[in-house]
Amino acid sequence: MLKKDLILKSPVSQTIGIENVKDGRFGAVISRAGVGKTSFLVQIAITQLLRNEKIIHISLVEPIEKINLRYTDGYANLIDSIGYVDPQKAVRLWEDICPNKVGISYNESSFDTEKVRDYLKSFKKAGLSLPSIIIMDGLNFDKDVSETLERLDLLSREFSLFIWFSIKSHREEKLCEDGYPIQLETYKDMFDKAVFLNPVDDKLEAVILKDGARTDQIFKLDSATMMIAEKD
Amino acid sequence: MIRDLKRVRNIGISAHIDSGKTTLTERILFYTARIHKINEVRGKDGVGATMDSMDLERERGITIASAATYCEWDNHNINIIDTPGHVDFTVEVERSLRVLDGVILVLCSVSGVQSQSITVDQQMKRYQVPCIAFVNKCDRSGANPAKVSTQLRDKLGHNSVLMQLPIGLEDKHEGIIDLVSMTALYFEGDNGEKMIVKDIPTQMMDEAKIAREKMIDAVSLFSEALTDAILEEKEITTELIMGAVRTGTISRQMTPVFLGSAYKNKAVQPLLDAVVNYLPSPLDIENHAIDMDNNEETVILESSFDKPTVALAFKLEDGQYGQLTYIRVYQGCIDKGDTLINSRDGKKFKAGRLIRMHSNQMEDVDALPAGHIGAMFGIDCASGDTFVSPQINYTLLAMHIMEPVISLSIVPKDNKAQINMSKALNRFTKEDPTFKTYVDRETGDTIIQGMGELHLEVYVERMKREYAAEVTTGQPRVAYRETITQKGLFNYIHKKQTGGAGQYGRVSGFLEPCDEDFIFVNKVTGGRIPSNYIPACEHGFKGCMDKGPKLEFPVTGIKVTLEDGAYHAVDSSDMAFKAAARGGFLEAYAKAKPVIKEPIMKVVIETPNEFQGSCMGLINQRRGIIQGSQEEGGIMSVIESQVPLSEMFGFSTILRSATQGKAQFTMEFSIYKQVPQSVAEEIVRKKLEEKPKK
Repeated sequence: MLKKDLILKSPVSQTIGIENVKDGRFGAVISRAGVGKTSFLVQIAITQLLRNEKIIHISLVEPIEKINLRYTDGYANLIDSIGYVDPQKAVRLWEDICPNKVGISYNESSFDTEKVRDYLKSFKKAGLSLPSIIIMDGLNFDKDVSETLERLDLLSREFSLFIWFSIKSHREEKLCEDGYPIQLETYKDMFDKAVFLNPVDDKLEAVILKDGARTDQIFKLDSATMMIAEKD
Repeated sequence: MIRDLKRVRNIGISAHIDSGKTTLTERILFYTARIHKINEVRGKDGVGATMDSMDLERERGITIASAATYCEWDNHNINIIDTPGHVDFTVEVERSLRVLDGVILVLCSVSGVQSQSITVDQQMKRYQVPCIAFVNKCDRSGANPAKVSTQLRDKLGHNSVLMQLPIGLEDKHEGIIDLVSMTALYFEGDNGEKMIVKDIPTQMMDEAKIAREKMIDAVSLFSEALTDAILEEKEITTELIMGAVRTGTISRQMTPVFLGSAYKNKAVQPLLDAVVNYLPSPLDIENHAIDMDNNEETVILESSFDKPTVALAFKLEDGQYGQLTYIRVYQGCIDKGDTLINSRDGKKFKAGRLIRMHSNQMEDVDALPAGHIGAMFGIDCASGDTFVSPQINYTLLAMHIMEPVISLSIVPKDNKAQINMSKALNRFTKEDPTFKTYVDRETGDTIIQGMGELHLEVYVERMKREYAAEVTTGQPRVAYRETITQKGLFNYIHKKQTGGAGQYGRVSGFLEPCDEDFIFVNKVTGGRIPSNYIPACEHGFKGCMDKGPKLEFPVTGIKVTLEDGAYHAVDSSDMAFKAAARGGFLEAYAKAKPVIKEPIMKVVIETPNEFQGSCMGLINQRRGIIQGSQEEGGIMSVIESQVPLSEMFGFSTILRSATQGKAQFTMEFSIYKQVPQSVAEEIVRKKLEEKPKK
C-alpha cells in the first residue's frame, strides 16, 4: 500500500511515467551544476526500487557515502510528500528495498565498462534477475564520450537495461537550434529520453526535451525536494 | 653491544610473499659475518634459510614467525626482524613494525608493487616507519626496476628516487651503477662477497649522468646546502647528497630505491650501506608513551640510558626454557636483576636472563639498553604489554590487532591427542593474538579462529608436529537460529493422573516476535495462577529457547505474554507448570510461523581495480548484498557487502584464484537474518540426513 502511494506521488511517475522510465536505452537529465540532476536521477532509481527492481548507481564524481546519503534523503523527501506515514513502516520498507540498490564510485579516469559487464554477467551466472536501470552520474559530456557511450550502448543491449545519464550544461552557453543543450546535440540520436531542469524563481521546471512524440512539456518541481510543486 | 645509539639500526624487511625477503636476510647475515654459509630458502641441501627456523617454514619455503637477529656492518649494530609476507600472518608484520625504526621494502623487479606490498605500506604509514626500497630479482626474465620505481610512485604514492642503475638485466645482470659516487659496482667471488669498484662503462655514461641529475634534482628538496650548491654551480659532494637523502627518508618524504639480486648475490652490500646511511637510528625517531599518573598525557620517550626504563613486549614465544618475551627498549636500560613493573596489571618482576636472538640461537647479554631489541626469559605477560621502572607508570600505545575472520572445527583423534591439543592451543593463543579458540556450546566442537585458511592450516600442522596432536578438521557449522514471525496463541493444560501424585497446570497467552532474545510478561490477574508458580512458568518457557522445536537450533527474539491459567490445590506444582509452559510454547510456536535465521557477515573486499567487477560477481553468487563499491587511490577498489556466513567458507581460496591472489577481504559478524525459503529447505534436508547418524 505504502509502495503504491509512493510510486503515485513520485515526480517521476508524473513527469516521465513509471513504465516509460525504462522504455528504450538511454535517457538524460540535463541542467547546470548544482540544480538537481543527481537528485532527480535518484528519484528515478527509487521508483524502480519501489517496484522491486534492481538498480545500479554509478558515480564518477561522488564517493559511496555521498551516493548512499542521496538515496536516504531522496526516500525521506518522497515519504514526506504523502503526509503522515508510520515511521516504522517507512523504515521497514526502506530496509526491504534498499538492498536492491548498488552504488559504485569510480574515478573518471579508470572507469571501464568491462568492470560493469563482469558484474552484470555474474547475475546471469547466479540465476538472479538483472538490474533494470543504471544511473550513470558524472560522465563529462564536455569531452568526447562517444566511445564510452558506444560501449554502454552495447551493455544496454546485452543486458536489456536502461541507462540514465546526468549531463552538465553551462549557464553561458546558448541552446542549439533544435532546443537541445550543446552537450547533448552530438549524441541526441542515441538518447530516447531527455529532461532539462531549469531553475525559475524558487521552483524548478522539468522540461521534457525528448520522449517519443512528447516534447516541451513542462512540470514544476520543488527545487529542494524534487517533488511536484503545489500549484500556486 | 654498541651503546652509541647513532650506530644502531632497528630494521625490518617487509614485502609481498616470495619477493625474497628471507633470501635477502640470508645474504645480509653472510656479508656481515654472522653466518659462514649461505643456505637457500628451498635449497637442495634441505637445510633451509637460517631465519626460517621452524621445520614447517623450511618445508613450505615461507616465513611464518618473524625471526629476530642482529648483525654488524660498518661499525653499526643492525637489529633485523624478518617478517612473513603472507597476508594471513599479517599480525607478525604489525608487531614488527611497531618496534622498528626503519624498513627495507623488498619488491620483485618483475611483479612490482603487489597486494601485500600495499598492505605493508599501509602498516608502515600507520606506524610512520621510514623505508628504503630494494628492487630484488633483477636477474629474472622480465625484470624492469624503472617500472617498479614508477609503480611505487603511482600505486603507493611514494616519492621514489632511483639511487642506482642496473648494469644489464635478466641473465645479463652484472652489477649496478651507484649514482651518488658515480662508480660501477661488480660482485665477484663464490658468494658475491668481493665488491669491485670500477669506472662506469662508457656506453652507460650518458644514461648515468641523466639519472644522477634527476636524482639530485629530487633530493635537493631536502637540503638547502645541496640546493645552494646546485644554484651556485659548486661541486656537489657525496656527503651533501647523502645528507639530503637521509633527511628525506627519515621524514618519510622520499623513498630511495636500490637494485640488485639477493639470490645471485648482487648488490646486497650497497643496500647495507644504505641501511646505515639513510635509515634512522633510535635517536632520529620520536617515540611516545602515555603517562597513566598524569591524566593520560602523551610523553616523549628519550633514548637515554639514565632515564627510567620503558620497554614493550611485542612478541611471545614458548620455548624449551619457558616463555621467551621479545622486547624493544625505548628508554633507560634493562640490566639483569632490575625490578620492572608490567604497567597493564601493575605486577612487579625481576629481569632475569637477557638475550639477543639470532634466529633460533641465543646469545646472553648483561643489559639491554634503550634503542635495542632483545628478549627475556621467565616473564608472564601478554603481547603488547609495557614494562617500566617502578618510579613511572607509562604505557606504550597498543598495536593494531585484527579480529579473526575464519574458523574451523577440530576434533582430536584420540585421548592423547586431546591432551596435547589443549597444550598446543594454550600456547598458540598466548603467542598469537589473532588466533583464538573456544568450545562451541551447541556442537561441543573445539573451534579455532584465525586470519585465513593458511593461518589455521599452519597451526593444525604445528599441533601435529610440535605436540603430536593429531586432529581432524571439519567445516565449522554455521550457528543458525530459529525465531517466529507472527503472534501465536497458546492455551495448554498439562494434566497427569497415572498413579502417585497428580500433575495439573493450565497456561494461556501468546508468543510474539521481539528484538530482545527473550522477554517474559506476566499478565495473570486474580490469582488464576498463584504467584509462586509464575517463576516455574517463566523457567518452562525459557527452557524451550535452547533448542527450537523446528530444527533444534537455539530460539531468539520471543516475547511470551502469560495472560491466564488455572491450578489445582493438590495436583499443581512447579514441575506441572513448567511442563504446561513447555506445552504452551510448542503449541503457540507452531502457529507463529517459525523461520530459520542465519548470521550475516559484513565482508569488505579490497581489490585492484581490474578485478572489481569479478569480485562483485563473487558476492552476487553467494547470496550477498553489495552495499557499495568505492575506488581508492586510483588503483584499488573497496567493495562493502553483506554475505551469509554459510556462503563464505573457502572464499579466500576462491577470491585468490579470481584475482591472481591480489585481493584481500575482511569479514565480521553483522546481523542475524531470515534464511530464504529455498536455503531453509536445504538446511532442513541436511538436518534430517544428520539425525539418523546420531
